[in-house]
Amino acid sequence: MSSKLRAIATLAAAMVLAAAIGACGSDDDNGGDSGGGTSSTGIPEEFAAPTEAPDGAVEGGNLTVIAADDIDYMDPGAAYYQFTYMITSAGHRALLSWDPDDVEEPTPDLAEEQPEISNDDQTVTFTLREGVRFSPPVDREVVAADVEYAIERGLLPGVANGYIGAYLGDVVGLEDAQKEAEDNPTGGAPDIEGVTAVDDRTLEIQLEAPTAYTITQALSLPLSAPVPEEYAEEFDAENPSTYGQHVVFTGPYMVENDAEGELTGYTPGREINMIRNPNWDGEATGDFRPAYLDTIQFQEGFQDTGSASRKILSGSGQINGDITPPPGVIQEAAQTAEPGQMTATPSGGNRYIALNTSKPPFDDVNVRKAVVAISDRTALRNTRGGELVGPVATHFIPPDFPGFEEAGGVEGGDIDFLATPEGDPELAASYMEEAGFESGQCEGDCEVTIVGDGASPDKETSEVFVSALEELGFQPELRNVARDVMYTRFCGVPDTQPDACPSVGWLKDFNDAQSMLDPTFNGDNIIDANNVNWPLLDVPEINEAMADAAQTNDPDERAQAWGEIDSMISEQAPAVPYVWDNQLNIQSADVAGVINKFNANWDLAYTSLKEG
Amino acid sequence: MARYITRRVLWSIAMLGIVSAVVFAIFYVLPSADPATLRAGRSATPAQIEIIRESLCLDDPMPVQFVDYMKGIFTPLETCSGKGPLDFGNSIFQNNEPVLDIILDRLPATFLLVTGAVILWIAIAIPVGIISAVRQRSLLDRTTMITSLVFISAPVFWLGLVALYLFAQDVGLIPIFPGIGSYNTSDNLLARAGSLLLPWFVLAAATAAIYARYIRSQMLDVMTEDYIRTARAKGLSERTVVLRHGFRSAVTPVITLLGLDVGTLLAGNAILTETVFNIPGVGSEVAGAIGSSDLPLIQGIVLFGAFFIVIFNLIVDVLYAYLDPRVRYE
Repeated sequence: MSSKLRAIATLAAAMVLAAAIGACGSDDDNGGDSGGGTSSTGIPEEFAAPTEAPDGAVEGGNLTVIAADDIDYMDPGAAYYQFTYMITSAGHRALLSWDPDDVEEPTPDLAEEQPEISNDDQTVTFTLREGVRFSPPVDREVVAADVEYAIERGLLPGVANGYIGAYLGDVVGLEDAQKEAEDNPTGGAPDIEGVTAVDDRTLEIQLEAPTAYTITQALSLPLSAPVPEEYAEEFDAENPSTYGQHVVFTGPYMVENDAEGELTGYTPGREINMIRNPNWDGEATGDFRPAYLDTIQFQEGFQDTGSASRKILSGSGQINGDITPPPGVIQEAAQTAEPGQMTATPSGGNRYIALNTSKPPFDDVNVRKAVVAISDRTALRNTRGGELVGPVATHFIPPDFPGFEEAGGVEGGDIDFLATPEGDPELAASYMEEAGFESGQCEGDCEVTIVGDGASPDKETSEVFVSALEELGFQPELRNVARDVMYTRFCGVPDTQPDACPSVGWLKDFNDAQSMLDPTFNGDNIIDANNVNWPLLDVPEINEAMADAAQTNDPDERAQAWGEIDSMISEQAPAVPYVWDNQLNIQSADVAGVINKFNANWDLAYTSLKEG
Repeated sequence: MARYITRRVLWSIAMLGIVSAVVFAIFYVLPSADPATLRAGRSATPAQIEIIRESLCLDDPMPVQFVDYMKGIFTPLETCSGKGPLDFGNSIFQNNEPVLDIILDRLPATFLLVTGAVILWIAIAIPVGIISAVRQRSLLDRTTMITSLVFISAPVFWLGLVALYLFAQDVGLIPIFPGIGSYNTSDNLLARAGSLLLPWFVLAAATAAIYARYIRSQMLDVMTEDYIRTARAKGLSERTVVLRHGFRSAVTPVITLLGLDVGTLLAGNAILTETVFNIPGVGSEVAGAIGSSDLPLIQGIVLFGAFFIVIFNLIVDVLYAYLDPRVRYE
């Protein structure tokens, strides 16, 4: 990279890093959290995320969640956003949910216990708890048919659940049901043959392939939160469904509503008011959530994250929602905030620069290896705020994931072009020579089109990448656009895909490597629009390995299989991985926040206010 | 005058149609995100995206979509999104809320913000402009003009952030004004007005400076006119000469300016102030709508904005005729 840009990036990062680490006075690289985990993210102890409520946690009070934007959908069938999960995890009882400290195995929630899985891994049976009731105005007890309806309505175009096809694709009859819903979008939820409420307490799921493990993990997402059909069907008859304006809840909290069920506590883009669900009895129904708070108010529209972050840190009873503190506030908080006011949690995500493997110049694997080798991945990471933001990525599965250690852990596997985070110009030149460029630099047609997100810090990340390409003799043409334009018009559309997309990355759906690697590097998942295999990687051996690994249900074997797949992908150099994100969260000094590691965000059902 | 007003109203309706057509065209011609893909989510298949596109009527040709949209606003006929009149469609992302409901929900905040700012900037600009003109080249004149230059040069968002970090109760060094987002937690008009004190000052600062300089300039021209000398010669007090004769003539162009400014602010031009202070107004709403390519919402807000600009221009033009007897409309 150019010396000027390297200097700027390094100086900025060094300032933040020095302030943050110096304030801590610790170089502990355990990165563990107070829950006793052994993640290797290098998070200083002072920023470790609390994953248990304190002894003697105080009941009562109001918590304010400060947010920049709105949730995506109030409808649990449509919700597919980390910020929205703060609400769904506090308001709904999915079949399985996540204890704050657990990212490996979900905890039975609406289900009485872990599902029973048949020997052939093709039948999954849940037994529901008794006594769980819907919030007013529905009020009645939840039955298995409510979960069946919840899953089936996800196929309605008016609900358009974003992951039902990806993770429940092997459910018997899903394809037919999907077609039925598409042909008759307002004719009611289609019947999925493989999802059956055997009786009021038993839900059975039949699979065409032995993918019970994936199904179980996927049903920890809000899609399996029960929905009463007799109440919701009139709303689901519209396209888009209006159930989101009339949602009923089964968890400890609900959004305020009127006698007819219309949400009065939700003004899109402005506020969400959650109150206790009067029909929730945690003790009687075996809910593991303590639910200390009386009310939770989301205040939205805080577009300036700097002032919003300072408001939280200096205020009372506040936490961040979707706001990530900017680098300046991170530095300030590291120096002046009280211990525990700022926490860092592995987000289960990665960021990388995707290289288009389907056309020149990046259709040549040696050219791609050269680009990865020349890239200063430390500088790329530092454009996002420095060491606290996350470790420099050496492959694609993030820390704390099954398969992470198998893929080489923090240091990565034995891949030479990923061995030097600051870049290796000599190695890069040698790969260019192997690609046929005798000078070690690009010759001939060296124009490279890049489309990136024009907002900071992605803009800065793109500029660092541009400098790296220039060092190899390429002539990059960077076009900065709005993020949504980048995804929907360029980087997600193979026909208009540029040579490189520097502002991409992936966030887990659940802690399973399949959810990280399959959508993003499986050639069988390349689609004409909304494509997320941004490198357009299509290597038959890798695709086959993924198909096999998807049907591996033993956790250890699965971790080994996906770890090996991660290595196979890395060896193809389809992208420049540069960070495994940490999620930074902040709270006021009088809040005893608890982080849910699954969501990498505050767990509203465990958070409380400190006494006094 | 009646014919003039009628002609202006008819022309305004035509202009609103043109504005609407231009917004439509811009949305389709310039690179914007695909709303159907955004609505479908990250793992949706192309088939699902097309179904959503169809349900949102985005698969119709642009002219058909435009005609359907105009039908919904001006006629009681059925359209893709509902039934007119005054059907501006539904937001693609905000839980399918009707656009009209969203705008009407946001307008009060913008009205209050603009009203307070206007009162403040007029209250500051008029005396400052007059005094600076009457005491031209005095220390007071030079001080006010330099100060006004500073406020004109300072970007609104910068001024807003500085004001917050100095005076807001939650993050300020001298916490004397309500904090960020306090508008949302205010439950009566007085509390809301209180929460807008700092935003009023910030929004009024630059405009007051511009108006003060403009009034000063107009006053300097007017005070050299013959009728001013005549008024003095008749023995009228200087106060009467300045205010009744001088200022009355100088203010008429300012009225025109005021109409334009109020119209554009109500149209969403207070976006930066609303964003910095988290005021749930029209400006902050349109920012979000543009970011998410929510065309119905963008279109609705632009139309409302154009409407306000047109109406306020008409009002000031009519007012002009009453203020200046030399002006007559045919």
